[in-house]
Amino acid sequence: MNAPDTAAPDPAAPDPAAPDPAAPDPAAPDPIAQRAARLLRWYPKAWRSRYGEEFTELLICDIDERPRSRSRTADVIRGGIVARLADAGLCGCAPGAAAQVRASLASLTCCAAVFLGFGDAMWSQLTIGWQWSEPDSAATTVATVVMSGAMGVFAVLALLAALPVACSVVSRMARGGPRGLLGPAALFLAGLAVVVVGGRHFGNGWPGTGGHPWAGQGLVPGGVAAFSWASTLSVSSFWAHPAALAAFPAAELAWMALSPLAAACVVAGAAAAVRRTELPPGVLRFEVRLGIAACVTMAVFLGGCSAWITSRPPGPGNLFHPGAIDVAGAVVMAAALAVAQRAARQARAGGRRPRRPYAARPTGTI
Amino acid sequence: MPRKKAGGEPEPDHAKALAGFGRYAGPATLILASLADGAKHGYALTKDIESFAGVRLAPGTLYEALARLQAQGLIEPVESQDRRRPYRLTAVGAVTLQAHLDAQRRVADIGLRRLAGNWGLT
Repeated sequence: MNAPDTAAPDPAAPDPAAPDPAAPDPAAPDPIAQRAARLLRWYPKAWRSRYGEEFTELLICDIDERPRSRSRTADVIRGGIVARLADAGLCGCAPGAAAQVRASLASLTCCAAVFLGFGDAMWSQLTIGWQWSEPDSAATTVATVVMSGAMGVFAVLALLAALPVACSVVSRMARGGPRGLLGPAALFLAGLAVVVVGGRHFGNGWPGTGGHPWAGQGLVPGGVAAFSWASTLSVSSFWAHPAALAAFPAAELAWMALSPLAAACVVAGAAAAVRRTELPPGVLRFEVRLGIAACVTMAVFLGGCSAWITSRPPGPGNLFHPGAIDVAGAVVMAAALAVAQRAARQARAGGRRPRRPYAARPTGTI
Repeated sequence: MPRKKAGGEPEPDHAKALAGFGRYAGPATLILASLADGAKHGYALTKDIESFAGVRLAPGTLYEALARLQAQGLIEPVESQDRRRPYRLTAVGAVTLQAHLDAQRRVADIGLRRLAGNWGLT
């Protein structure tokens, strides 16, 4: 008997139709491309949209050639941080002078808001103390007067700065302009409404605003002092003492958590509106001057605040006694002022630059 | 002082144009020198600079310098269907590079002459 022409398939032999387990899966993502994409995330969105593709290609080639390089990773991270600072108008070159000025002004707005958040908490403590009794030292008196004057200047500067931006936003939205302004405007108004309504509510509930002998002697109206206190209630050392915090009424605790979020919405909305609103050059220069004036006012306010803290009035039962939260607040304010000054310098440099020194010339190639 | 042109507008000092680049002046000079040979994309620039200067520009540093050079109008991107976009030197970039290298050469000549005169090194 002859053997059959075709033998039965050997179950141990590999199936030629089955995929080779050693071969790379074409559908699987390329690990080098994934690494390049991860590194690219260090850069801001605007930079990625301009240089992202070509930079990724360069990274892929570089990773392929030098698979392990810590210096490359460090260089990309540093470059990404520099690009983000430039995007925020805090250093280097930006796409154009007007865009750089607007970015710098938006950063300055954020810094001023942080400064005011902590400064307002200190100032309200002093002005509310003044509602009850006269300051016990000349340093505290001078500091409170200086800080109150600076607060008044801040209010005027904020109004002057907000008016042109608000007019521009409203007119553009009325003409059906860029839709990108609707979100920031809504965020700003919603946050402002929460801050005003909540601040008024908790300020009115505070017992120190009237009904005692010194209520009419305060440096500022009791309602203003109480509103400032209520709107910055979250700037408190009670966060470090959870047991004491737990004894607070639930509504007050909720307000302490909600008010910073509302304030953040106000600042984010304002900063986004400043960045996206194209103002005429003259108005932009006016805004830059206001920003510089705000920096000077911040420095004066910080000087008054430092004089109060370093004078060390008696405490801790004293109404004017500075606590650890005030010292921490002063440090944050100093940092915010430093960044704000940097932003103001960048804005002024961008505003002064009438045109690029070389780009206006014919740019043929060789 | 920048020289004045006939119209009264100050003429840019090309020799000092790269001084404003700060820590990127070195990479900027290398990039301009590489592009003087023709348009190149990022990786080709890296390899070319490595071959003639012995320096490998890291990707982040290269693109920071490229962005600054482009903002100053010294280089410009070339239209390309490829994801790797090439850059080329502009006429202003060429003049700037020449002025910068002339200034560097003067410094090098003086240094070499003094080394030869005082130290006998040639």
